Amino acid sequence: MKKFKILLIGQPNVGKSSLLNVLVGPRVTVSNYPGTTVEVTKAKKKIDNTEIEFVDTPGIYSISDRSEEEKVTEKALFEEEIEGAITIADATSFERSLYMALQILEARVPTILALNFVEDAKKKGIEINCEKLEKLLGIPVISINPLTKTGIDKLVDAVLKIEKIPKRAFTVEYDDHIEKAINKISSQIKETSIPKRFIALRVLERDEDFYKYLKDERVIEDAKENLKEHPKVAEDISITRYGTAAFIAEKVTQITHLRKEKIGKEKIGEKIDRVLLHKTWGLLTTGLFFLAIFGILLYLGNLIQGVLMSSSESFLSSFGAVEHSIIATVLVQGLTGLVTGVSIALPYIFLFYLILGLLEDTGLLSRFIVNAERFLKELSLPAKAFIPLALGLGCTAPACRATRVLSSKKEQFHTASLLAFVPCSSRIAIIMGIVGFYGGIIIALSVFATLLVAGLIWAFGIKKMFNVKSEPLLLELPPYRKPLVENVLAKSWIRMKDFVYIVIPLLALGGIAYGILNMAGLTSIIIKPLSPITTWLGLPPATIIPLVFGFLQKDLTGAMLISVLGSKISLVLTPIQIYTFGIAATIGIPCIIALGILIKEFGIKKAAALTVSSIIYGFLIAGIVRRIISFF
Amino acid sequence: MAKESDILKIVKEDILEVVGRKNKRTPLKFMKLEVTVSHSFVSKAIKELEEEGLLKISSEKRPRKEYVQLTKEGQVRANVVIKKHSILEKYFKERRSEEEAIKTTNILEHYISTEAIDTIKKLSTFKKKGLPLTEFKQEEGLIADINLDIGLFERAISMGVYPGERIRITNKIPNGIIIEIKNKKFALDKDIAKEIKVLEYEKI
Repeated sequence: MKKFKILLIGQPNVGKSSLLNVLVGPRVTVSNYPGTTVEVTKAKKKIDNTEIEFVDTPGIYSISDRSEEEKVTEKALFEEEIEGAITIADATSFERSLYMALQILEARVPTILALNFVEDAKKKGIEINCEKLEKLLGIPVISINPLTKTGIDKLVDAVLKIEKIPKRAFTVEYDDHIEKAINKISSQIKETSIPKRFIALRVLERDEDFYKYLKDERVIEDAKENLKEHPKVAEDISITRYGTAAFIAEKVTQITHLRKEKIGKEKIGEKIDRVLLHKTWGLLTTGLFFLAIFGILLYLGNLIQGVLMSSSESFLSSFGAVEHSIIATVLVQGLTGLVTGVSIALPYIFLFYLILGLLEDTGLLSRFIVNAERFLKELSLPAKAFIPLALGLGCTAPACRATRVLSSKKEQFHTASLLAFVPCSSRIAIIMGIVGFYGGIIIALSVFATLLVAGLIWAFGIKKMFNVKSEPLLLELPPYRKPLVENVLAKSWIRMKDFVYIVIPLLALGGIAYGILNMAGLTSIIIKPLSPITTWLGLPPATIIPLVFGFLQKDLTGAMLISVLGSKISLVLTPIQIYTFGIAATIGIPCIIALGILIKEFGIKKAAALTVSSIIYGFLIAGIVRRIISFF
Repeated sequence: MAKESDILKIVKEDILEVVGRKNKRTPLKFMKLEVTVSHSFVSKAIKELEEEGLLKISSEKRPRKEYVQLTKEGQVRANVVIKKHSILEKYFKERRSEEEAIKTTNILEHYISTEAIDTIKKLSTFKKKGLPLTEFKQEEGLIADINLDIGLFERAISMGVYPGERIRITNKIPNGIIIEIKNKKFALDKDIAKEIKVLEYEKI
């Protein structure tokens, strides 16, 4: 059987995932790399005697490696040993799609151009002649529509014949001095599978990651020397490439000017934007929207939680009879961890990611990001930091991983550190279920407020200390579209996967670890040595147990508190104590799972430093606020 | 590599330009010196031009010499090419060194549409350099220049924020500007917006 590996490549919102869904159909074995959209997704499909593996890449505008998405795509392009690629183009903004297609041709990857949104373009009076384009570029061009499945069979046929597509098709020609420089650099490139012309271009475009392919340092000097004569060489390359794309696009496009009333449909989006991107209304609607989402989530989450908890409790209590053996303890505690994970976090996280996916696919999210950028900028965070921070309201672990959408490690770490103050579902459960239940809603809200203030102080502190400068805002606002349910579901699932496969098993393990330590009587031995902490916090010494072991298993914090203090917490703790406990339990990198992901992303030193300092910071805040309140 | 048809197109336009500038019949030899590609291309191009009725070949017996001359239609075509060339050259001369300008013009003129030339003409007739997008007061304009770090520059270009494109300001927000180019909307930071120079756009 033949095996093909085909890369799917295109701009953001070009319809890549819809195409993938149609291409592989429902019988897919999607083997995701864990994480969010900054990873490649692979899906296999058997056709006749060929197994095609599609590699879906994050949406990018050009093949370079200045951002994480671009790096991932570039790596897939050159290291995945692909047979070819499908470049998805947007007929409504064709030049732009061609820009990247031309780069892929420069990389000498056999590619098929799949033209999407042909109907949308027609409505705007734009028609593209595929045959003419095919001749001009020397590669197959197929117009598709993943929604109606038009052109998909043709596309698959073309994929099966991908070996016949010439590697050298249309090539962009640059000015003489650029061509000369390309030749000069090409002669000094090490043996590699990446085409020399492509490397030479990237070097000339001042992409320092490509300097490593040059034979020695002097060549770089030489190349730089060359660039000095023409200081705008890098810019000229982009300009020429785009110019060529525009030239080709013009040749194959027919534009008919439409009468005004035909464009009427556009205006709905314009109207929404007038509100959402308004000076004041935009911010207000964004804020209200998220508050509403939050409210709905808490309400629905609680509802589902209640049902799941009550059914699982009876299940767990059936093990009660065999308690006092080690095996039973391990089993019961492990199951408790599992059940809490499934019943508390799952409905909440699933709902949250579902709503987030909907916002993203309708085009609303990007407007919210623009509004939020006003504040993020003050904190020296780029607009895109909004995504991991929002994801953090679900689960901190995948949110840490989602910091990858940011382009520099510094920005990634800065954002990850703020996740210490973004309450995840488990922490929200502590605030609502313990603080709110025993201390009242006012106290619960003041815990949220304290998190916010503490987070702002932290963020400004980091900004001042490390002098971070954020990447400026340059964001496309996609048109409003009706979201596809399958896409939203698939996306939510990808985001949840981390939680299901990593967090839930670890929750069970955390429960087991706690069970064993408890059996061995080890839990109580930490009470005494750590009593200075509880004294500082003004809490009974035993409360250190839920605080410390909560780090193994955040969802068990509440249960542990009840088990050390008894169920009548409001009698044992004053409202202020409940408040301090809430603060101490929720500020900081929440659990060992988040720590694990942080280690993976930033290395053990940075991860440990962040975790320890954020937790100490939380304890400090809790103690200080307690002292201020008791002063009055 | 450029395809043969592309080269032919270029050579044909060059021939039209050379003969058109002379404005009279031109010795074939002279033209082969001016149009610096292999002679087989020149011959082929001349043949095609003749077939298209744009050019006539005449020969004299003594001294034995061949001449090329434009037909009426050929002269019209040549004028378009020459106009394109001079507009482009003027545009680039204002921005680059003379030598580079001429070279660029020679390459670009074949790849650029008449519509784009109109745009460039407009650009060059506006003597001023264009206002930063942040200070631009009209709703619609023409991007004249983008001055960003190469990383951001490349991203802007590949997104379609390209000099010569029509730009529409749809919203102004406290942290930036929302613009529309070719049906696509973008949110720009003020720091980026002030590096994008925009010209007033004459509505046709």
